[in-house]
Formats: sequence, structure tokens, C-alpha cells
Amino acid sequence: MASYNRLSPAAAEKLRAVVGEGRFQYGDAVREEYSHDEMPIYGRYLPEAVCLAESTEEVSAILKICHEENVPVTVRGAGTGLVGGCVPVAGGVVLSTMRMNRILSYDMNNLVVHTQPGVRLCDLAADALAHGLMYPPDPGEKTATVGGNVSTNAGGMRAVKYGVTRDYVLAMTVVLPDGRIMKLGKTVCKTSSGYSLLHLMIGSEGTLGVITELTLKLVPKPRMDVSLILPFRDIATAIASVPAIKLANLDPQSIEFMERDIVDSSAAFTGNAVFPTVVNGREAGAYILVTLVGEGEAELTAKMDRLGEVAEKAGAYDTLVVWTDGLKKDVWAARSAFLTVIEAETKLLDEMDVVVPVDRIAEFLVYTHDEAERQGVYVRSFGHAGDGNLHIYCCSNDLEEDEFKRRVKKLMDACYAKCTEFEGQVSGEHSIGHAKKEYLRESVGDTAYGLMGAIKQVFDPKGILNPGKVCHDWEGGALDA
Amino acid sequence: MLKILVCVKQVPDVNLVKIDPVTGSLIRAGVPAILNPLDGNALEAAVRTKEKYGGAVTVITMGPDQAAEALRECLAAGADRAVLLSDRAFANADTLATSYVIVTAAKLLGEYDLIFCGKESLDGATGQMASQLAERFDASQLSSVRTVLEVDEKERTVTAERELAGGIETAQAQLPCLMTVEKTNYRPRIPNLKSWKASRTAEIEKYTSDTIPGLDRAQIGDPGSPTKVPRTYPPEKGPGGEMIREGSAAKDAEKLFALIADRL
Amino acid sequence: MNKTDYKDMWVYIEHDGGKVLPVSLELCCEARKLCDAAGEKLCAVIVGELHRSEIEKVMDCGVEKLIRVSGTGYERFSVDAYTELFTRLCRKYKPSAVLVGGTIDGRDFAPRFACRLPTGCTSDATQLVYDPKTGDIEFIEPAVGGKMMAVITVPFVRPQVGTIRPGTFKYQPAGPRPCELIEERIDFPVEKIRTKVLDFLPDEEDESLNIADAEYIVCVGNGLKGADALGRYRELAALLGGKLGCTRPVFDRGVLPYKLVIGQSGVVVKPKVYIAFGVSGAVNHVTGITDSDVIVAVNRDPEAAIFGYCSYGIVGDMDEVCDAMIAQLKGRA
Repeated sequence: MASYNRLSPAAAEKLRAVVGEGRFQYGDAVREEYSHDEMPIYGRYLPEAVCLAESTEEVSAILKICHEENVPVTVRGAGTGLVGGCVPVAGGVVLSTMRMNRILSYDMNNLVVHTQPGVRLCDLAADALAHGLMYPPDPGEKTATVGGNVSTNAGGMRAVKYGVTRDYVLAMTVVLPDGRIMKLGKTVCKTSSGYSLLHLMIGSEGTLGVITELTLKLVPKPRMDVSLILPFRDIATAIASVPAIKLANLDPQSIEFMERDIVDSSAAFTGNAVFPTVVNGREAGAYILVTLVGEGEAELTAKMDRLGEVAEKAGAYDTLVVWTDGLKKDVWAARSAFLTVIEAETKLLDEMDVVVPVDRIAEFLVYTHDEAERQGVYVRSFGHAGDGNLHIYCCSNDLEEDEFKRRVKKLMDACYAKCTEFEGQVSGEHSIGHAKKEYLRESVGDTAYGLMGAIKQVFDPKGILNPGKVCHDWEGGALDA
Repeated sequence: MLKILVCVKQVPDVNLVKIDPVTGSLIRAGVPAILNPLDGNALEAAVRTKEKYGGAVTVITMGPDQAAEALRECLAAGADRAVLLSDRAFANADTLATSYVIVTAAKLLGEYDLIFCGKESLDGATGQMASQLAERFDASQLSSVRTVLEVDEKERTVTAERELAGGIETAQAQLPCLMTVEKTNYRPRIPNLKSWKASRTAEIEKYTSDTIPGLDRAQIGDPGSPTKVPRTYPPEKGPGGEMIREGSAAKDAEKLFALIADRL
Repeated sequence: MNKTDYKDMWVYIEHDGGKVLPVSLELCCEARKLCDAAGEKLCAVIVGELHRSEIEKVMDCGVEKLIRVSGTGYERFSVDAYTELFTRLCRKYKPSAVLVGGTIDGRDFAPRFACRLPTGCTSDATQLVYDPKTGDIEFIEPAVGGKMMAVITVPFVRPQVGTIRPGTFKYQPAGPRPCELIEERIDFPVEKIRTKVLDFLPDEEDESLNIADAEYIVCVGNGLKGADALGRYRELAALLGGKLGCTRPVFDRGVLPYKLVIGQSGVVVKPKVYIAFGVSGAVNHVTGITDSDVIVAVNRDPEAAIFGYCSYGIVGDMDEVCDAMIAQLKGRA
């Protein structure tokens, strides 16, 4: 098991010299926010220093120093993660990419954008649109950085049509743990050229190298889009409609599901009751939200007709058309606010981000609700019905923290076992961090887990990059003084 | 059977309008035109009243041909009939000239028991149209209505709750009555596929200055508008304050509270 | 129409519960300046009973003519009676301008009598300028959400009618002047009033919604990411012992209630310290905060207009700066 040195004052001065006074925090000056992400239930760990790098060269210099000093380095974007991925569990240095926030250039002939990793997703998306292009990955957390998105292979709402972040990364610049700078991938869309180190980097959560520049694929912006809300009696009937929707050849951009209680919470919290709760005289218990894209109104209308037929057969109370820009904004803002709404109304919170086959979603949710009830916690859930990726939040407002953790552990053990039984994945897009390591090992098996560890060893023999994450063992041994 | 009219306006999405930093003029290109948001609340109030008492909702607007899109939105959300008043001669009208054209045309189409309006428009925001429409319809007037409580067709009255500064007033008015609607209780509905589709192909009745009989040309457009806008200019920039730049939010906050310590 | 036939600038004195509304006095003070520039007389119009001490407040603003109206139909405000009354008064006395407070009642009847006369009506001017060349008043008002200033005039007809929001102008009485009193008796048939009030239910007192007199105000603008981000601003306001407010677009987005809207179409505030987060600085809003002792602006955009009006400015992410302020205040406690 790895052991590390504390950051010596002398080494700290070297780091300070690299980034300069204004972008360096050390000792008491380190801000508390760097000790956790959005899931503080997994513990708070304050780094010894924070460097806000602005260039590949600075990142390289920082890593070189830390590598020599045997000090851990944890890369951090906006800190919006949910599994402790950017939390420096072994102390050391946090390397923030937030100042590497420039969109560098567009290549309009090859439909790519070159960008630094600290650009926020919302800024990249808006900028691409201003260029008449679309960056398809659309994770719910719009203030995350693209670097973070790549490091977690974030998926989001449009994955059902466009795929996930991985499918849009063509090339990147990476700094290895010892400071060497390496370019991976090319601005072309095909490769049959050896092991893909590029794809190893994607989703590696900052454990193999530090991404300092990205070349991302864009697509032409669809001419028109429309969203449709299908209210259902309950989650089981809602989910049961999804295979039929997928079979209807509509090529939907997204198929989201949401349960009534999260919709109610969101309405109460934001004052924006955009989802109708009573439809044609009947109480809606769950919703499917579908977005269709097309080149013109005629094409969209034809698709909507087909969707309407499918929805009616599947027992939807109605098919509601979200056509105007204002309404689209309201509907999707409500959808995007779900997590923050949950965070705001909940004292203790833990989450699962499992993926199960689409036809098992309802069954899995029913199982989770039953288990949660047995454990005395409550559950809020929503997610990507089109690809089986569920966001399940386990909440409590009255349990003691230790008791909550104990009960949630039981709940999660059962749910992840069920997920494995259903041939599902531990995480669809939030990743493993240090929170889900055990469930990953159980899910992939010891052989695969061991190979992951071996790969980590090749990239980072000293284990200084983001210790204790994904497949790397570091269990809080004493730091060498 | 109530005869209900809703007066609406298509407006640029003001929040997206930008100012050219060089010329100081408005950049309208690419700014979407939308149904004035508060008019959506007025329409919802009208449609719910229709659903409760029976009747028909006519929606009327004055504007360029593209304003038909705002009318279709109203049709999708429950209006029965849509009327567009479109003519270059109507351009540059103030509220007096606009209310004249709308009321002259609306009276040709029939009579109304209830007229609903949004409180004000997103762009002009004068809030004057409702009063002037009421005057020209010779209707009673209830502003800031948050709930239409009851329409009594026999007694020819409407009872409604008004959202005033210090509380809620319950008021009764004789029909015909013009009401401006608060957004509190009338979130516009999301249309279903059937009504949305119907709205896309529904007829929009269009009138021009030539097809509204008896229209007095001296009262329309610029000649009919007593208020003029001789000039516009970008708001003056203030003198500017002391900028705090300490390198981090934490240090900025520390500096700020040191500067204003005597006020805390 | 000969414009020179129309003289005197009128202010409608709105009163409620025996008290003259501040906006009516503010308008008298502002109109006094216009009259001085134009060489016209300032005339106050009072409808119904009003105590002597309240009338003196009006006179103190430099009123030179007072029209006192009595008659049936005015005990309680109605659009029907007041529209007809002002139509008749204007036809009889031919004022050059009529200024009306932009209250709910004022905004209901002023455009309506302007329509009946007919003449031009403006609303929500933030500046009034007399143009000696044309003899017209320039009603200068924010337009397009405050992104532009528009100059509105009524060049060919009279009177020039305008409704002005409370708090727009300062109450600075110029002192009394010799004043001519005109008594008018005009009856409005009570049966012709088409509206009646059946009931009034005062709002429950929610102190958090009463921001007009708050000493500390944290204001969130359209930069606010969503309602979910509000918690920290409430916390900061609480730590300061103050209240949370917002700009008009935040209300339009359905995030906060109308009573928290600061600015021309909302509440005018005058706190010791006012901190604006993600507020662009549109004129409509700035009008409502200029009497604050200290204005602090936080905005991502270094070019935001709000920095022009602030005492201290911080360029940065509003949430991050707010959190830092909270941390600071907690650290001090």
C-alpha cells in the first residue's frame, strides 16, 4: 500500500513559484470547499495545498514537483461530483482546473472544438450553439467542467440518441504523474491503431493522468425540437411505455422519467409547478418526458403522432406538447433542478447511479422503494429511462448520521446486489470515486478489478494521482511526517 | 354562453435583447418573439371561465404577420377563434391608437361579456392598454384579478378577487367587464397533442385597415398616436465604485467587510 | 388645438385613510420644478374630504392652485367616477399636464380618462424635463427591460398625462406659496358606478416580505442560477440581520414573490447596506436602490451596469462570493 510524504514548506514554495501567489493556497489559507464535493456524507478531507493551474506547462511542473516529493495530487474541476472523486482523501495537493477555462478554437470544417478542461459545460454548450453547433452530451449538472465530464464519462439526458461523453472526445493532452506531456488521439473519427490510451483516460477519474486540453466532436444543431410530457398512473406503467417508445423509430433525443414526489418537491421549492399533477381529472403518479428533434415541423408532427399513439396504448393520461421556448425552458429547468431540490430538502443524503436494462427499471425501483421502507429512509428518484440509468437518492431528515449510514449501507448492499443480478452497472455516469469501490469490485469481479489496478500501476507507479479512488487502495494510513 | 375576448401581444423576449456597445442601439436579430407571458395567464383565466360556464373565447392581436404564431399558441391552449390585425398602417401606434384598432375590429366580430388582458407587456410595459381597451369597449374594469370567483349571467355580474398592495379585495363588476389577470393562479396549461395539432392548421382571421369597415385612418398608426418617441439612448453609466480585487472570493469578502465595518 | 390655451400642471392628490399618499407629495415637489421652468402654476386636485393638516402638507410643496372637488360617487375610488370627473375637469380648466401616482388606482383611471379626452398618456417616467423650445414635458423612462432610455412626449395635444411610480422622485417641499382655492361640486350618479367592493382581506403579516424599511438587503438578480441556489442568499441576509429581495426578472421567473421585487415596479428601498448579486443594473432596478447608504455589487460580468452605481464592486461568481461572505461573517461571530 502506498505511503506519501507531507508537503514540505520548501516544496510548497516551489509550487507557489509555479502558479504565483494569487493562485496558490497553502496551510490555513486552503479553503474548506476543497475538502468535499456535493456528497459530503463520504467525508471531508482538506488538502495541504491548492494550485489553480492555467496551462499544460504549469500542470507538468506541479506534477514533477509532487512526483519528486512523493506528495499526492488530486485533480478537481467544479467539485460537483457525487462519489468523492475529487476529494483528496490522502491529503497532498489539489490541482484545480477552474482557471483553465478558455474555449481555444473551433474547426468548422471538421466540426470540432479545442478547449481547456476547466470550461463549464453550460458555457461550452452555449458557445457551441452560438456557432450553430451542438455539443451533444448533456449531463444534468450544467456547472460541471468538461474536464470533469470526460474524467467521469458523464452521460446525461441526450445519451439515448447521441451516446455519452466518450463518444465525443477525439483527442486530448495529458500530463503523466511524473510531469511528462503526452498527446492522445487525433482529430479524426476513426482509429484502428493500437490500444486506445485515449479511451483509458476517459472515465479514469484523474487516476492515470491530468487532462489539460481536449478536442471534442460537435454536431450540427438540430433545426427543431419538441418535448412531450406523458403523465402516467404510476412508475410501473410509465416505464413499461419506454420499450414501445424506443421501438417506434422516433430517434428521440431523450427519454426521462420522474416520479410524482420529486416533481412535487421541485414545484414547492422553485415555485415553478410546470408539470401538471392532475391530467384529465386523474392524478399523475409518474411522468415520461420525451424530446424529439427534426428538420421541420412536418417531420416532428409525424413523430409526435406516432408517439401519441404509443403513449395512448401504454396508458398515458395524455400527450402534452411542450412547443414554445418559454415552456421548454421551464420544463427542463425543473428537470435539471431535481438534484439541488433534493439536496435542499434533505439533511442526510446518499445516492446510487445504477444502470439496469430498460425493461427492469420499474422492477428495480419497486425493489428499492420496498428496501428503503424497511430501512426507514425515504427515496427520491428520477433518471434516464431511455438508457436505464437511474438516479436514486436515499434521504433522511430525522436519523442520526451514523445510524443513517448504517441503514443506507444495508439498503445499498441489497440494491447493488439486485443490480448485479439484473446484469446492470454500478454507475452510469457519476463514477466510482472512493465511495463505490467495493460495489465496483463485486460487480466486475476480482480478475477485472485486479487488471484495473495493474493498469493504474503502469501509469502511476508511485500512486500519487488521486489515491484511494476507483481501484486504488489507500485506506488512510498515517502520512509520513 | 359567455362571449369572451382575450387581447394579447407578441413581444420580443426582452431578456435576450442586447445593446450594441458601439452604436447603443438594440440588437433585435435572433431574439425570439414570444407570447407576452402575462397574456398567457389572461388566456388561462378566460379558458377556465369558459370551461366552467360555457361559451367561446376569441383571441385578438395587432402586430406583424408573424404574430399569428402567438395566436396559434393561444388556440392550442384553449381559445376558439383567433383574429390578427396586421397592416403597415398600424405600425408605430401608441396605446391609444392600438386600442382604437383592436376595439373597432373586435366590435365588428361581436359583443363580449368578459374581456381578459395581461397586466402589462414585457417590452412596452406601460400597463395602459387594459384601461384604454375598457374605455373603448365601455366596459367596467377590474385590475389585478387573481381569481375569477363567479360569473352570473342572469344578473350580468362577475365577482373576482383582486390582489392589491395590502391584501385581497373581493369585488363585483357589471358585464361587460374587462379584467387584467395576475399570474398567481393562472399558470397557462400545456396543450395536449390534439389541440396543439389543431392549432397549427387552424384558420387565423386576418384584417387590415382596408377590411375593417369604418376605421378612421386619422386614429391609427403614427398619426393616431398622441405620444411620440423623439429619441432613445442607452442608460447612462453610473460614476462607478471602488472595485475590490484581492485575488479570491474569500479575500474579497474579507476586504469588503473591513471597508463597511462601520455600517455593520 | 392650440397648446398655449392649456396652462397649469396638475397633480392628483391620492389619499387613503385620511392620509395623503407619499407619491402625491413627491409628484408635487417634482412638478414644482417643472412649473418654475415653464412659468406655469402648480395645481393640486383633491377629491373628497381631507383634514386640514394633510392639505397643509400638500400646500407646503409650493402649490399655487387647489381644486377641491366634492360631490356624490367619490367616497370610495371607482374607475367610473374618477374617469368621468377628470375628463370634465380637464375639459373645463385645460391643464397642460396631469400627473397621477402610479398606484393600482392611478394606473387604472389615468389612461382611461386620457383615452376619453382623448390625449396622450405615459407611464413610469423616471425623469421629467421641461423643454422650453417646444413647451413639452419630456417623460424619460426606461424601456425594453431597462436596456434603453426612451424620451416620450405629447407634442400636439394637451393635457400631457403621466403616471409616476411611488418613490421615483424625492419629497423635498419647496415651501408654501400664495394659493388660489377653487371649489368644485360635480356629482357622479352612484348608480352608474359599475364596480363594488364586497370584501377586503388584509394580507397576513409576513415580516420577511416587508423589505421597504430593512437596514440590510441582499438582492438576487437574473444571474441567479435557480431557486435551488437561494438558500445561501437567505443565509447571508439572516447573518446580516437583513432581508432578501430580488429584481423583476427573478419574480418573472417565478422564483420569488412580487413583494420582494426591488425597483421601479416594486419596492423602493433605502438600507444601510445593499448587496446585489447577479444584478445587471437595469435602470428600473437602480431607481429603487439609489437611496441606500452603501451599495455592493457582485457580478460575473465586469461590464455590468450595476458597477456604475455601486460603492464597492466584486467581479466573480455570485454563489462563490456569497459563500465567502457567509464564511467571513461566521468567522467573525
